[in-house]
Amino acid sequence: MMDFSTPRRQHPLGMAILSVQFLVNLIRSAWPALIPFVFSSELEESTLVYILVPLTLVGVGAIAGAIASYWRFNYRLEDNALIVEKGVLQRERLRIPMEKIQAIHLFKGPLQQAFGLTGLRVDTAGSAGSELQLVAVSRAEAESLQALLASQIDPSIDVSPEKEASPSATKNEGFASQPLVELNASRLIKVGLTQNHLRNAFLGMAVLTSLGNPMEEVISSALEAIPPVALAVLSLLSVALFIPGVLLFLLSGILISLVLTTLKYFRFRSALGHEGVQVEMGLLRRNAFQVPFAKIHMTTWKSHWLRRQLGFETLQIRQAQASNQSNSDVRVFVPAMESQNRKTVEEILYPDLSAAPVFRVQPVRRLRWLIWIGAWLPSLLLFGLMSSLPAVSVSILWLAVSGYTSLRRFRSLKLQLHKNTVTIERGWFWQSRTLIKLSQLQGIQWRRHVLLERRGVGHLTFHTAAGPKAFTYLRKHEAMAIRDYALNQLHSAQSGV
Amino acid sequence: MEVPPNPELNLDNLPPLGAIEWVSVDVNYRKMRLLSWATVQLVMLLLILSPMVASLLGHVNYSDIHLWWVLLCLQVPLSGLWFMEEWRGFMRRGYAVRERDITYQTGWLIRNTTTIPYGMIQHSELSQGPVSRWLGINHIKLFTAGGSGNLRIAGLKEERAQELRALIDARAGRS
Repeated sequence: MMDFSTPRRQHPLGMAILSVQFLVNLIRSAWPALIPFVFSSELEESTLVYILVPLTLVGVGAIAGAIASYWRFNYRLEDNALIVEKGVLQRERLRIPMEKIQAIHLFKGPLQQAFGLTGLRVDTAGSAGSELQLVAVSRAEAESLQALLASQIDPSIDVSPEKEASPSATKNEGFASQPLVELNASRLIKVGLTQNHLRNAFLGMAVLTSLGNPMEEVISSALEAIPPVALAVLSLLSVALFIPGVLLFLLSGILISLVLTTLKYFRFRSALGHEGVQVEMGLLRRNAFQVPFAKIHMTTWKSHWLRRQLGFETLQIRQAQASNQSNSDVRVFVPAMESQNRKTVEEILYPDLSAAPVFRVQPVRRLRWLIWIGAWLPSLLLFGLMSSLPAVSVSILWLAVSGYTSLRRFRSLKLQLHKNTVTIERGWFWQSRTLIKLSQLQGIQWRRHVLLERRGVGHLTFHTAAGPKAFTYLRKHEAMAIRDYALNQLHSAQSGV
Repeated sequence: MEVPPNPELNLDNLPPLGAIEWVSVDVNYRKMRLLSWATVQLVMLLLILSPMVASLLGHVNYSDIHLWWVLLCLQVPLSGLWFMEEWRGFMRRGYAVRERDITYQTGWLIRNTTTIPYGMIQHSELSQGPVSRWLGINHIKLFTAGGSGNLRIAGLKEERAQELRALIDARAGRS
């Protein structure tokens, strides 16, 4: 085991990685300013000097900044806490207590892979709301730090002698624990094909337009060069090109999905260890997550029709989120989970699910009509767009379709209370099933407005460290029974520990 | 993984939350809420009536002012609704302290009843602005992990707030 009690710096090559990161950040924030120079036709020597001198200065500044921040950054373990000192001009001393650490991630970006180093990120949550990122540590150092932190996070795991002897063997080489999902090429393609292509197509378009924006002048001058006759022909053609255009759009969406999936999930491996869930993935940037079981506050199984045909579900694991940054990403996705994988995970995380549920609740029937009306109302807009006869026929057709879909949606809404777990199911095309341990609940809220109160109906929200989860429109007496049961289970779990 | 011991429960014998007694917050808090209601209403009214004032002062012709009553017609029911929310909502506002959790309920139009177990409270905070200091009331905020379950119990008498905080801190530290 390495000695982490004295202040340590990162690996010296970290200076190079930091320099590149600083430069990339600078260029990313300032590159539109450079575009006019690239496209200006006559570059005089004097203007070149105006560009090159500041550019060189910026480059030198970035490297100097990287070296200084490398030099002024150190970390150590002291009194059951991780101490970090950083800052070039303004010194900052960060103290992260072990119990606040949620997870330790190892990652390898292209830079780390080039230098044979590893990055390490420590995620924290709750009131501390801070995190630590080391961009360059040697692999051995990262693994021994990860093992040390993991052992201190969860006191139930002691660093046993054989683990100390070969920390890397248990951590990465073998995934000695129970393997979960691995993605080979064909499964990777399947995962890619079941992504949301429409969203990805729009994403691609947004990126294109944002890239195109600074070049607007160039494009418009190019358009001016085209003779007006050709332009008229082009605009006529564009009508004929509508359907191929849509097809191209969708195709590019599928392509983007495949590329993004490969970047994210390339050589995806996951396993269930004694400590928690281990996940490793990524092409350019290799990410290795290790989420201790005790830090998993919510899991959601997500699937849609196409994925179910392939027998796939995606598992979303949510950890505690820092209260001041609500969209900080502390979610880990495990794609392509098959039914036996799901069984394995649930047996470990929620052993009480095998028994029959204590309560099984559905929303009140009223909600069905509300969903239906909500789905049908937009069709009234058609009356503004087309003459009344087609509008009436379309809206009647839509009434029938939405009647069917809203019935299916309504029937899919289910809350089940097990001995120590609450499961909330929703959706028939896009299905999701959320599981929360009662012993991890942070609070329960019963919410209704005055008209619902008269009917004895309301919404129940389960507050967890990973965020709230609500089940709406349920009867008051059922909700009260669920709340009392959940609170009792929570209290008995707390007094039992 | 270790599963905490989890004894079987008889569902009919659970202590129901509905039967407990609610402690209402300090009456001065209603004063404070109504004060803020009155201030906002006064400002709104002045804004709506500003054309009339201008015409009285001779800056504008009265005949040039149109439709000022539309705004007034909107403001009167809204302010009435808000007043009802404050007046009737105050009677419903209250908290209940139990052995292992604390519950707070608010609202007349939109009603909320939130329960937090002491064991899940990360830390607590007392806060007091200038007006609440003048009225001698205090607000207590309870923070839970993740922040989604945070609870703010507003309008407690100062000594009561201190007591409550001491009680919560003691119970939170126990488990």
